[in-house]
Amino acid sequence: MEHEISERDGALIVGFSGDVDLQSSPEARKILLQCVARKMPVLVDLSAVNYIDSSGIASLVEALQTARKGGGSLMLVSVSEAALRVLELARLDKVFTISGSIEEGLEKATS
Amino acid sequence: MHSVEMKNAEAQTTPINDDDERISGHLELLSAMGQDFATSLDIDETLRHGLKRITDYVGAEGGALFLLDDRGEKLTCKTSNGPINLDGLTMSSAEGIVGRCVQMDVGEIVRDVSNDPNFHTAVDDKTGFTTRSILCAPMSVKGERIGAIELVNKNSKDGLFDDHDLHLLRSLSSSAALSIKNARMAEALVEQERVRRELELAAEIQRSLLPDEGDDTSPVHGVNCPARTVSGDFYDFFPLADGRICFNLGDVSGKGMNAALLMAKTASLFRCLGKTIHQPGRLLSMINDEICETVTRGMFVTMAGGIYDPKTGIVKMANAGHEPALIYSGGGTFEAIQAEAPPLGISPLISGDGGIPEVEFRLDGGTLYIFTDGVTEGYLEDGSELEADGLKKILIDTAGEPAATRLKTVIDCINRENVALRDDLTLLAIDDGLNKIARDERASSDEGIQSTAETVFHLNFPSQPDRLKLVRSAVFDTVMLCGCSESVGRDIVIAVDEACQNVIRHAYKGARDGQVILDIARAGDNIVLSLRDFAEPVDVSKIKPRDLDDLRPGGLGTHFIREVMDDVDYLPPPDGEGNLLRMVKRIE
Repeated sequence: MEHEISERDGALIVGFSGDVDLQSSPEARKILLQCVARKMPVLVDLSAVNYIDSSGIASLVEALQTARKGGGSLMLVSVSEAALRVLELARLDKVFTISGSIEEGLEKATS
Repeated sequence: MHSVEMKNAEAQTTPINDDDERISGHLELLSAMGQDFATSLDIDETLRHGLKRITDYVGAEGGALFLLDDRGEKLTCKTSNGPINLDGLTMSSAEGIVGRCVQMDVGEIVRDVSNDPNFHTAVDDKTGFTTRSILCAPMSVKGERIGAIELVNKNSKDGLFDDHDLHLLRSLSSSAALSIKNARMAEALVEQERVRRELELAAEIQRSLLPDEGDDTSPVHGVNCPARTVSGDFYDFFPLADGRICFNLGDVSGKGMNAALLMAKTASLFRCLGKTIHQPGRLLSMINDEICETVTRGMFVTMAGGIYDPKTGIVKMANAGHEPALIYSGGGTFEAIQAEAPPLGISPLISGDGGIPEVEFRLDGGTLYIFTDGVTEGYLEDGSELEADGLKKILIDTAGEPAATRLKTVIDCINRENVALRDDLTLLAIDDGLNKIARDERASSDEGIQSTAETVFHLNFPSQPDRLKLVRSAVFDTVMLCGCSESVGRDIVIAVDEACQNVIRHAYKGARDGQVILDIARAGDNIVLSLRDFAEPVDVSKIKPRDLDDLRPGGLGTHFIREVMDDVDYLPPPDGEGNLLRMVKRIE
């Protein structure tokens, strides 16, 4: 799993690529919680995620809950087919705000 | 108006001076009033009318009818006529000439009230009326005092009542007393009937709280016979979303309406909470807390409740102060499940840390019986109690019959025609017999799948997270070769990945040197994936898909596996060591 963090229009964009699985999800969790702690809207780009498992999903849920608790926001953008399937299985596709592109996500996050 | 009637009365009485005529006049009046009393539907109106008649007939200035209250302490004027309205006047039954007459149960003539120390002057003082003479006769039936009729100031030349008047008044007061008593009895009957009807309605609601009787294929059967109209016993069972069955049986202390109401509350709490809380010990603890908060002092509920899994025959239950439940698996001996906690509603303390202790056992084709003490303490035909031994004997003797028949046999022994029940009778049976047969059949057809299966992939790897990427890639390629569509292939990868995670995290608890073996076989239209480990056997009943409404990290993996695969089973591993998970996916 690789990741990349950038700032744009007052929001943090964190992109993951490769496999978010038992091996890599502890790192993904750490990165997500650090992003959320910066008190900016967080966009998680899942376009390059080939595989995400239940532990990866759990990290996303934990980050979402932490963000909401602190009055912040976290949304998913450009969710790959593989990641969307797992979100559907977990019935979390309606819990997360999901945007089709980074631009669309930024608009939602800053409006 | 009043004076005109008085004159008429005088005109009626004046000519009577011959005894025969007097008697015939009396008889006519008695007969007319007797008729009135016998046919009247409105006792108040009849008394008012009767008093008026007799006042006029005797030729008195006024009259009053007094009734004694239930406690015999107070006399209240029910109806009156004459110049002063005394209706509603209440006085102590120890006071006045009326009081004396009622207490002594004798009629009397007081020719000059000013000479009578018992005369109650308050009314005259207040109204300005002058009472000169009084005629008073008690109303009583066989010594039961009901009240008295009093007439004042005769409108004759000397203004005095005579013995004939007293005699007549006594006759009339007797028949008035009788009709009042009859009316009161009729009223009591109506009230009894009303209470009975309300009880019937309550009983109907109670019966609606019991579950519908399942057919012969249902593993759970229950029966409830109230000793009175309403019952303090209850039982219930309902299916959970995962196919397991939640059941309970309880007994509220007492048998009356209060017990029935607490029963309704407890049964509703169980049904409501039992749908979301699937740990019987915790569930009973919560019900205990609820009941403790509101229960009437001294009332409590004994309850046994749990969850039965038809797929495994495993029962998990908790027993709070209830009779020991019995398990029968043949061979003439029973295993008893004793109460591990006091009844519910006694102390909130029992709900401490772990809640009420749970026991878990495998029925393995046997039957679990739960019953109230009304059954074991029920009287048999010879007057002895059935007792636990008697119950066991019936259950052994009828073991070949369907569960419903077994329960009926027990009930019929105690609930015989024309014999009042000593206590409510309630029994619940959870019979694993048919499900055991179904499980065995499934196991043998599973063996069929295994024997015709062709192994297409075999992988032996250590319990390390970094190996999962390789496993996923190999599984995907293999199932695609077996003819899966790409989306089904990805789903199978998810299931296998999560199953491997469970082995690494839970079975081997993170140890990196555990051995994991994955086999993929093709059997007809099925892809069979077997995952074997050599860790401590896991408690299958504790592996549950998590509640998806509960938004929290973790616990999702098992849900994914069940969602994606058609069949997921833990099989006994070949040499009894470790765990063997078998997942089957049907492909078109």
